[in-house]
This record gives sequence, structure tokens and C-alpha cells, in this order.
Amino acid sequence: MPEPRPTIFVVDDDASVRDAISNLLESVGLQAQLFGSTEEFRNAPRPDAPSCLVLDVRLPGVNGLDFQEALEKAGIFIPIIFITAHGDVPMTSRAMKAGAIEFLMKPFQKEDLLAAIDQGLERDRVWREEDAQISSLRERFRQLTSREREVMDLVVTGLINKQIGAQLGLSEVTVKIHRGRMMQKMQASSLAQLVRMSDKLKPQLRR
Amino acid sequence: MLYVDPVPIAARIRSFPQRYAIALLTVAAALVATLLLRRFFPYPFLFLFFGAVMASAWFGGTGPGLFSVLISTLVVDYFFVPPFHSLAISTSAEAYFAAFVACALVASWVSSSKKKSEVALKHGLDRLEIRVSERTAELMKTQAELAHLSQVLSMAELTASIAHEINQPLTAVVTHGHACVEWLSASPPNLEKTRQTIERMIQDGTRAGAVLSRIRALFKKEAPAKDWFDMNEVIHELTVFLRDEAVRRRISIRTDLVPGLTKVKADRVQLQQVVLNLMMNGMDAVAETTGRPRELLISAREEDSELLVRVEDSGIGLNAETAEKIFQPFFTTKPHGIGMGLSISRSIIESHEGHLWAVPRPTGGAVFQFTLPIRPKESDA
Repeated sequence: MPEPRPTIFVVDDDASVRDAISNLLESVGLQAQLFGSTEEFRNAPRPDAPSCLVLDVRLPGVNGLDFQEALEKAGIFIPIIFITAHGDVPMTSRAMKAGAIEFLMKPFQKEDLLAAIDQGLERDRVWREEDAQISSLRERFRQLTSREREVMDLVVTGLINKQIGAQLGLSEVTVKIHRGRMMQKMQASSLAQLVRMSDKLKPQLRR
Repeated sequence: MLYVDPVPIAARIRSFPQRYAIALLTVAAALVATLLLRRFFPYPFLFLFFGAVMASAWFGGTGPGLFSVLISTLVVDYFFVPPFHSLAISTSAEAYFAAFVACALVASWVSSSKKKSEVALKHGLDRLEIRVSERTAELMKTQAELAHLSQVLSMAELTASIAHEINQPLTAVVTHGHACVEWLSASPPNLEKTRQTIERMIQDGTRAGAVLSRIRALFKKEAPAKDWFDMNEVIHELTVFLRDEAVRRRISIRTDLVPGLTKVKADRVQLQQVVLNLMMNGMDAVAETTGRPRELLISAREEDSELLVRVEDSGIGLNAETAEKIFQPFFTTKPHGIGMGLSISRSIIESHEGHLWAVPRPTGGAVFQFTLPIRPKESDA
């Protein structure tokens, strides 16, 4: 499946700066969506494609750094590249600690912005990949019967069929049958792979 | 605390024995008067003793009040309660005597507590008045400081917002420029996009220029706020304002002001900003010197119908080339400077038909000076 076209979101209250960034991105074949405020960005639908956010620090009403925190709290994960006319060290370090890709001073150089955008999109691709894997695993897990789930929970703890049978009150042969079906449904070819899948299925501490 | 805790007035004026002497005297006076009045009344007129008790308690306090109750009791018993001229009390007079004692005690208590509350009230009022005048003085000081501070801030804020205003179109121009290179590098070159991009660059560049002319207009327009004032006063206020900062930076600020300078007609706040800006610059320059006296000298005098104000520092100094460059917008020698202070200061002085320039100081350091025309008050131009 070909990857959907990446989108770069640009939030800056100055129309001429937004426009210029969009022009630059267009000239190198990237697609931009422009917003004059964080509010507009929050309310806009985001396409299901790799994306990153180019965010001005000084915005009317809200500080870009605070918005970064607000996004994280709301569970919206998007790589952020800050741009600012007057940054200082504490500002930069706060943004970077909170996971920003880059902190650029206006006016910035093309190479710096494009490199940061590349890095941001790459990070988002990794996140999307992980998300896709987890949701496919969840889908497989949903297809298991409750008995198969019980068997899976015990298999990953390292118990052999006999012990599992004793715990669940089943014969060794029955356990074997459940186990086989479960491995098939989960598309796991080895015990080690199943254990890794089970780890991924646990409620995630995101990134 | 500044105020003297006001001790109850009775205690302050009269010493301990004096207060008891008052008790003795008032009771003695009551006795004499009662003895004299005996001829006119069939019964002893004892009410005067209550007066004595109340007076003692009022002027002497609780102790002398009770003391006067005691001696009044003895005196009344001796002279006026049968058997007379003896301290014994006949059975028939017991109730009468007890009533007298009770009344005297009550009178003493009422009088002394009334006095106490009156003293406390006065005390409170005095304190309140002192506090009010202290706070008023504090408030006036804070207000004066705030007024000064807001001027410093407005200069800093102004420069920051100018920087931002200019940086935005500048960012757009640079970014469009990068895009332009990309459009031209495409094969075939995208000339339509290039043309569009250059048009936007022209718009953004024009916008940056407009920001600057708006600032220039700002200082020219503010001319009507002119008023007559004494430059010496402005300089004096600023030296007071900067004193703590100077002490902190170990810089001595001296002034050499010719008394009785002719007043000039100008925008006082703007000129304050200029002098403050020059002084702050001077202090920054001095901060970097070592091995020379760290000082700032501000002088004001009249010369050829012009007022001349000089701010001399013993700092790093400047050469003839930078002496003119530093007045250009956005030229700065400071690591965190924006380079607007001197440029704005010069616009202010020029809008007052004066001149602001800098020269190296012969003994090391720099001199920033400005002139303002002195006009006769009548012309009121």
C-alpha cells in the first residue's frame, strides 16, 4: 500500500510568514496546511498520513510551549518544530525536553527547516507503524475465545501444557488444541514471538 | 517602628507618688468641703467624696482610685458615721456605711475604666494617623518609582515589539527567497511560481519598511506633549532612580549641574527616556572596564542659547567610526542589545530641534551629549 501523502501543519499568526513557509514547502514538493491559531488547528480534521507541526512560539492568547503540553495531555501526538523570533535558552530547553524536534530562530534557513521536517515526519512514521501494529494485534486478540485468552495468559508466563491443564481443569490434549488455535489466530510462529505480542498488548505507556 | 508608642497620658505626665498625692488632695478637699457644708444639711453631704474618688481614678488610674476609696472610707467613718471621731461603726450605721463604700468602689471602677478606654482610643487614633502618613509616604515613593520604571519598560518593550514587527516580514522574505531558488532550480524552472514569490517578497519588504516609518512617525507626532521644565530636575531624579543599580554595579554617578538653568520646553517623558537611555548605556560601558575608576558624570549647562547635557563614562570608549554607527537602527555592540535605544533617542532629540552625538572622551571612555534650543518663554513656540 503506498504511503498517503505527508502533511505539514503550520501554525503562525502572521499570514505572510505562513504563506512563505507554505510556498517553500510547495517548492520542494511538500504539502502544507496553514492555521492562524492553535484553536483552528485543534478544530481541523487531520488526515490519516504522516505529519508534523511547525509551530510559532508567540501566538495570540496561547504560548506555543503551553500548547505543546496541552496536545500531549489531550493524547494528540505529533512531532513539533518550533519557530520563534525571540527564543532564549530556557525556552529552547523546555521545548526540547518536552520532545520537540527542533527550535528554529526566525528567519531560519531552508536546510534547517527541511531537515527538521524530515526528522519529524520520520518520527511520525515510526509512531504510526507502532500504532498500526498494535491495532492489528488488538484485532487478532479480539478474535480469541475466552478459553484461548486464558491459555495465552498462562503460556506467556512459561508454563507447559500439563501445568496449564491442571490450572484450568482441562486435559493436556484439550490445552494443546486451544493453544494451537490461539497461536494460529495470533499469527505467532513461536513462543518468543507470542510473548513479544503479549507485551505490546499491555496498556501502553506511550513513548 | 517610626512612631513612639504613646504611653497613657496620665502615666506619662504624673509620676507614681504624684498620682497618689492627687488622691490624697482630692479626698482632703472633699473632707473640708463636706465639713463646711455640714451646717446646711441635716445629714452629712457625702457625695463630694464620690467626686474625689472619680477624679483620683480619672487622673491617677486604678491604683490611686482604690486608694482614694480607702481613705475616703476611713475619713467618712471617722467624721461622719456614728460614733463620731472614732473608726468604730455603730450597728445602725452599718448598712449606710456599706452603701457608701460600695458606691465609692463603683465610682472608682467606672471612672478608671472609662479613662482607660479613652486613652486606648486616643492611642489607637494616634497610631492610625502615624500609619496613614507612613503609608502615604510609601505609596508616593512607589508611585514615583513605578512611573520611572514604566518608562524604562516602555523603551524595552518598544524595542522588543519593533524587533518582532520587523522580524516577521523579514522571515517571510528570507523564506520566499529560499522557495524562489527551488522554483528556479526545477527543470524546467517554474517561472510563474518564481514571479508570484518575488511579488510577495516585495510586499513583505515594503511592510518591513512601513514598520520603520511608523516608528519614526510615532516620535514626530508626539511633539504636542511639550511643557516647560528644569533639566536639572530630570537629571537629579534619574540619578536617584539609578542609585541602587549603580551601587550594585560598583559605579559612582556624579552630577555637575549649573544651578538655575533656563527651563526648556520639551516632552519631559521623552527626554527622561533619552537621559535614562544614555545613563544606562554609560553604565553598561563602564561595567566592562577594569583598572580605571568606574564612573558616570552627568552635566548640564547653557552654551550659546542652547542647553547642553553631557553623559560621560569611563567605559570602553568608542572610535570615530563607531561613534556615528551606533545611532543607526539595529546597530549594537551589546551581546543582548537590539540596537534601537540610541536611534530612538536621536529621533526624540531631533524632533525637539536638538542634536545628539557621541565623542571619545580624552581620558578614556565616551561622551554622549545633546543640545536643545533655549527659547524665551514668551515665544512659546
